[in-house]
Amino acid sequence: MSVQTERTDTGTAAAPGVRKTDVTPPGDTGSARRRGGASAPYLLLLPALLATVILLGWPLVKNGVLSFQNLNPRQLILHLTEWRGFDNYTDVLGGSDFWKVVQRTVVFTTVNVVLIMLLGTLVGLLLARLGKRMRLLLMLGLVLAWAMPVIAATTVYQWLFAQRFGVVNWLLAKAGWSSMADYNWFGTQISTFSVITLLIVWQSIPFVAINLYAATTTIPKELYEAASIDGAGTWKSFTSVTFPFMRPFLWATTFLEVIWVFKAFPQIFAMNRGGPDRLTETLPIYAFVEGPGNQHYGMGAAISFLTILILLGLTAYYLRTVLKQEEDEL
Amino acid sequence: MKRKLIAAVGVAGMLMSVAACGGDDGDSGEKTGADGFKGQTLTVWAMDGSTPPGWTKDLTAAFEKQTKAKLKFETQQWNGIQQKITTSLSEDNPPDVLEVGNTQTPAYAATGGLADLSDLKSEIGADWTEALNASSVFDGKQYAAPWYFANRVVVYNKKVWADAGIKGTPKTRAEFFDALETIDKKTDAEPLYLPGQNWYFFDGLTIGQGADLVKKDGDKYVSNLADPKVGKAMEIYKEYQAFSKAPKDKDEATPQQAEVFAKGNVGAFIGMGWEAGTAIAANKKIEKDIGYFTIPGETADKPEGVFLGGSNFAVAAGSKKQELAKEFLKIALSDKFEGALAKENGVIPNKESLQTNLSANPAAVAAAPAAAGGGTTPLIPEWAAVENDPNPIKSYMTAVLKGKSPAEAAKQVEAEINKRLAQSS
Repeated sequence: MSVQTERTDTGTAAAPGVRKTDVTPPGDTGSARRRGGASAPYLLLLPALLATVILLGWPLVKNGVLSFQNLNPRQLILHLTEWRGFDNYTDVLGGSDFWKVVQRTVVFTTVNVVLIMLLGTLVGLLLARLGKRMRLLLMLGLVLAWAMPVIAATTVYQWLFAQRFGVVNWLLAKAGWSSMADYNWFGTQISTFSVITLLIVWQSIPFVAINLYAATTTIPKELYEAASIDGAGTWKSFTSVTFPFMRPFLWATTFLEVIWVFKAFPQIFAMNRGGPDRLTETLPIYAFVEGPGNQHYGMGAAISFLTILILLGLTAYYLRTVLKQEEDEL
Repeated sequence: MKRKLIAAVGVAGMLMSVAACGGDDGDSGEKTGADGFKGQTLTVWAMDGSTPPGWTKDLTAAFEKQTKAKLKFETQQWNGIQQKITTSLSEDNPPDVLEVGNTQTPAYAATGGLADLSDLKSEIGADWTEALNASSVFDGKQYAAPWYFANRVVVYNKKVWADAGIKGTPKTRAEFFDALETIDKKTDAEPLYLPGQNWYFFDGLTIGQGADLVKKDGDKYVSNLADPKVGKAMEIYKEYQAFSKAPKDKDEATPQQAEVFAKGNVGAFIGMGWEAGTAIAANKKIEKDIGYFTIPGETADKPEGVFLGGSNFAVAAGSKKQELAKEFLKIALSDKFEGALAKENGVIPNKESLQTNLSANPAAVAAAPAAAGGGTTPLIPEWAAVENDPNPIKSYMTAVLKGKSPAEAAKQVEAEINKRLAQSS
């Protein structure tokens, strides 16, 4: 099917009736062909499904099995299997550490996603407004930021914010803020999180911005004309034309960003290893430090499993909406 | 359509993020040496800095000549080494011989991943120094062979000290502080480079105060950081650290303190003798300015307590080249090569009779007086877990340096230390 049918899919909800003219009428020959190749879509899906099962499904099952085991260096080296039942889970859920980390992770994710969506949307709208040349330039900058390898980016940020020879401290000192000349950005929880947030927001703005820019390109010009004839100002035409078109995209990108920030591991770990004093450990880092780090692999597996559950919980609302829509479509 | 796709991508991404822990790989298939060891390769894991070039070259030549097998050294970094060793020991094809730190050896002996070397001990280990062999023995069996030992010294920049007009080297802690004070006033050099988390130096100060980092409580070990003697040691550390601009929340390896020292604008640092080599590698010009002296104690007659770091050689229980590994140990630990290592790296050899090799090495000469008053962390399998990142001892140090009282800071990390000491293996 062409792009146009999809557009109506998102568009009909927003502006019923208006876009009927755009719809390509479904081909008459469609039904006959569909019956003959009924198994084709499934065959085509097979390679992807297989890869998913092997690369994700199997490790997930393995991880689940591990989470019920007592697996420390001794058991690992001697290849012993010692079952612990639910003890790993009760140990994790019973300790205060875990809940502190959960709370921290949720707050961290919220702050980051709000910032990302806000700034990303603004940049996306800016892209739509810019002239050709400036848009290309901005697009280039966004794509380069998006293409930067995570660890490389983290290292650059570490250097920027280095205590002794960092550019940021140097600039702040030059600008007259002399107490910042030797400031240790990685010395407190808040300042470490600030640097990490800056990095993560910077890394994800391109995705949101380009996505939303793409969304705005699907809005037919006539709608704005109609709106202005009806006397709508800039704000009004944004809220009643632009925004309804963007809403499904906003939903989808927010959902993806929640996942992306929630699971962010390399940025946080490489920046300061969850320090100072384990105060910037989010769930994935906590799972790593308790599991492979402290060599309690069973415990780490239990934490990572709980992490999946929490993430599912956080994104349940969106998942439910999506699944419901699918049922409706069936 | 699009929504479905997005949902699918989302779910896949989500799963990818959190799954996966553990795994196994490796293949076997090594022929055992019925007709000599020809065609085999012995893999030896050695730690960064342990194997100086001259020693390595001569030893490899001697080994290959005698056994006809090949020898391959693989250099490892201390950070994260425990996880790496655990994983490698669990594989079908582990490294054959490993250098294991003395404080970590009991933990590995307890895992069952190391081969029993009791017969090697009776063959070549009759005069291994008793104290140095202690960490290799677990449950009455010999699980490793003592290789070398070392303690920290003060490495100083003679030029900076001369610029400050200081003559001679300090014999007491008070004199040392005076000298650092003078450097601070008379030159624009940083008197001492000491980051906040050099916990080996702190452990030495603790030993100097006659205290230990853990104590026995019934039949289990618990944190002893609340002991006022440990607090006193930390106060001394704080006095030292006040002379440095180094970060309070980093250890001596981030950045490498010798490389900071190599820039020429640091009066001194506390480190291993061989770290001078790191400094020289970073800046050739610094070589002529480097000097060493023993870390001075409270009084002139007794140097500061030091952490007696050391390394043992262990053989992986899963190695299929047990005989060849033992041949390697016999050669590497022979008087010839043990002496050569002592001479080249300035480390204490495993036999007292070989200590004469140290007289030509100025770092070793500075280290030797303190060794008698040296000590280690408790040689119990439970200890190694405490050293895992993030090391609570380091957190304690940073907390005190940032203004907490030692008692408060001890309280803050005690639960974590006790939890780690109580971990079942």
